[in-house]
Amino acid sequence: MKIIGAEHIKDLCAGAAFLATGGGGDPYVSQLLAEQLLEKYGAATLISPEDLADDAFVVSIGMVGAPTVTLEQLPTEEEAIGALNKYEEITGKKIDAVIPFEVGGGNSTIPLFVAAIKGIPCVDGDGMGRALPEAQMMTFPIYGAKPTPAVIMDAFGNSELLECEDALTFEKEIRAKAVAMGGMISSAEHGMSGELVKRSAIPHTISFAVELGRLLRGHGGVIDAIQDNLFKLFAESDYGVIKHLFTGKVVDSERKIIGGYDVGTATLQGFGSTGSGGSNGARDNAETKMELLIKNEYLVAKIGDRVVASVPDLICVVEQETSRSLNAERMRYGQRVAVYGIGCTHHYRTPEALAVTEPRAFGFDLDYVPLEKISID
Amino acid sequence: MRIGIDVGGTHTDAVLMDGMDIVSSHKALTSSDVRQGIMEALDAVMLDAHVTATAIDAVMIGTTHFTNAVIERKELCPTAIIRACLPTGSGLPPKCDWPEDIAAALGDHRYMIGGGHLFNGKEIAPLDERALDLAIHDIVQKGLKSIAVAAAFSPANADHELAIAKYLRQRIPDANITVSHEIGRLGILERENAALLNAALGKLAHRVVSNMQAALGERKIHCPFYVSQNDGTLMSADYIARYPALTFSSGPTNSLRGAAILSGIADAIVVDIGGTTVDVGVLAKGFPRESNSHIDVGGVRTNFRMPDILPIGLGGGSLVTENGNRLGPQSVGHRLVKEGLVFGGSTLTATDIAVANGSADVGDVSRVADLDPALVERATVTMHQMIDDAVDKMRPSEEPVPVILVGGGAILVSRELSTASEVIHPEHAGVANAIGAAIAQVGGEVEHIVSYAKINRDDALAAATEEARHKAMAAGADPDTLRVLDMEETTMSYMDDDAARIRIKVVGDLKQTP
Repeated sequence: MKIIGAEHIKDLCAGAAFLATGGGGDPYVSQLLAEQLLEKYGAATLISPEDLADDAFVVSIGMVGAPTVTLEQLPTEEEAIGALNKYEEITGKKIDAVIPFEVGGGNSTIPLFVAAIKGIPCVDGDGMGRALPEAQMMTFPIYGAKPTPAVIMDAFGNSELLECEDALTFEKEIRAKAVAMGGMISSAEHGMSGELVKRSAIPHTISFAVELGRLLRGHGGVIDAIQDNLFKLFAESDYGVIKHLFTGKVVDSERKIIGGYDVGTATLQGFGSTGSGGSNGARDNAETKMELLIKNEYLVAKIGDRVVASVPDLICVVEQETSRSLNAERMRYGQRVAVYGIGCTHHYRTPEALAVTEPRAFGFDLDYVPLEKISID
Repeated sequence: MRIGIDVGGTHTDAVLMDGMDIVSSHKALTSSDVRQGIMEALDAVMLDAHVTATAIDAVMIGTTHFTNAVIERKELCPTAIIRACLPTGSGLPPKCDWPEDIAAALGDHRYMIGGGHLFNGKEIAPLDERALDLAIHDIVQKGLKSIAVAAAFSPANADHELAIAKYLRQRIPDANITVSHEIGRLGILERENAALLNAALGKLAHRVVSNMQAALGERKIHCPFYVSQNDGTLMSADYIARYPALTFSSGPTNSLRGAAILSGIADAIVVDIGGTTVDVGVLAKGFPRESNSHIDVGGVRTNFRMPDILPIGLGGGSLVTENGNRLGPQSVGHRLVKEGLVFGGSTLTATDIAVANGSADVGDVSRVADLDPALVERATVTMHQMIDDAVDKMRPSEEPVPVILVGGGAILVSRELSTASEVIHPEHAGVANAIGAAIAQVGGEVEHIVSYAKINRDDALAAATEEARHKAMAAGADPDTLRVLDMEETTMSYMDDDAARIRIKVVGDLKQTP
């Protein structure tokens, strides 16, 4: 078993920002909160999915709503702890461990302080292995976990029990509740057995994010200098596949809010051999352009007309000079960036998983082709 | 006529202007005595132009005093913070992420009480007057006079901040109170940090203002005087005593504004080259483009409206290494005049390269005659490339832009820049800061959170504009000259009732005193 203390949180957040594939909002508030709470209550224990008893009872916990709201309505531990206690009270079941919804972004930190406060372990894994915008895209419901009963709690301690037939209904319901209850709520949901966690969760993502963040933060300079280490880290992880897709400059970024989502396109232009960064064929040619299609996250990457990576594979963008992950909201003309494609784990490669996470599920008229089957050069 | 004075960390620049014409200018080392320094600057520009005190209509002063006080943790008052937010926010109390030394300088006087609002304008909780009473009692016991007040979503609804300030004034009539909605933007941690720094500077602000007043009085100058803010507008003397923190970063802003006047170009990239760094900023409609991210002031995270500046480690004193392939970030700084080759020293600097390649004529040119021409060429290319890259990162699009060069190190640039439509070396570029201060305008800004499901978009924008106009007029603007400088509208993702954040800024000329 591993432990995560306050001293690991900055690394975790840096790793989580990379795995957030452009989404996840500004993690500053959740980072600070986790640091404060782990300092106060002690470190959280991580348990690997394979070490869970098959009959252990695991509940997923995190926050749902508009990240902008937490800038003012600062979260406390009470909503998440309250939701979990209420969940135990209503279901009459003792919770043996908690698990994050998604490793990408601020939701990676919440189950950690909940675990520390409740004195139970947090599963080293999550339901996305990245960030994705909606509940039905989590691997838990895809592999048979019921999203409900779910208990949601707002900042005032008001709670509600949700009961829904399916994940899609649950997503619509909880989103509407979040808006009605002040913009941000905590949710305890997807209660499942240890056996189901083993089948459905993306394993080891929390400890992986800490390691990834340590590499990126510890370096802090030009990403090219740590690319070999980055490749090695991913190659030896559950993700397996990583590719350098492009290095270039943001030359255009066009965005709109449609139905609550930040939707748009960013265009990158290669530096060519004269610019900073080495020559890398099509990935770094002054004549080539990359287009990133965005819906909160980076979902599709194209070079010219060719799709070189698409959701559910991960498209991660870092500032080339600082190795800092670049949130899609912050993308603007002139930034120098490096783009990496990372293969999603096998959990997202089945027909049932692809049905809800392939490009068509986001309205893009194209087929998912696994990253490793696409040739770039 | 107007006098602009920019009191920087190293130099104090002064300029006397008649309309848009520069009558005289002066540059001197900054004096440690505020009053003395300002009197010397006044004397220099007035004597030079044979102008008497009665001819001066206004004096504008830019100062780094307050930024330096925060960075050096000097002259900061013990300051209390009252935050209305409970039951939210208890997990992240005020100052929870401050560096220890500055946290200690303000002392541990933090109070969280019930109150604040939600994004939709509804109360989180009614203002907890009992808890407020206890907090004030404690503040009185401790004898604290500097107090910052914050409440959740106060940029959308300031009622609770205003109510707290009112109670405070009743109980502690001589308190120096900063309410966060007047000074910062959305993001309560950053906004309350800004309010805390502002309140902590209150005593110093009074002292600096009275010193400025005394300096003018001694020179028999009785016209109004103003201090420049970081958004390129002015505040009057009584304003600065209340909002000293709004001067943070006004130096780069003044330099940008000055460059606009000197070149007559309102939309451009300004490259301010000093001894150690180049500050690259963006002029949009004659004003600096503002940074959208949080800004660290002395290690404290704030969300002031600050100019978006990209600093790079290149300047007149930068060391030339790796055979001319690398310049900076190490620099001899102000020791350039002793250590640079052309000044008789033994260090190869960027200035020596500029002299060797013929673009500058300072010092003794014979001392660089033996430099390898290939090295000089490489170093010349390297520094132009560094500036070109920085301009490219800052320009708003791929379109080539006018580039205005200011600052003492502007001589480094002698060639075309691929990013520039033209490269402009204006006259008087060395005192651009003081000119920027002298021509500053007056403005007002508001930020609202609205729901377009509830209010028509045009009405929401009109209401915000009207409020901004009132703020500008209160600050001394002539209503006939007011115009909307900036309108920013951000839709909030994951909220489906069309919630949006709107920010409007208006500016106008100073109302002439009869």
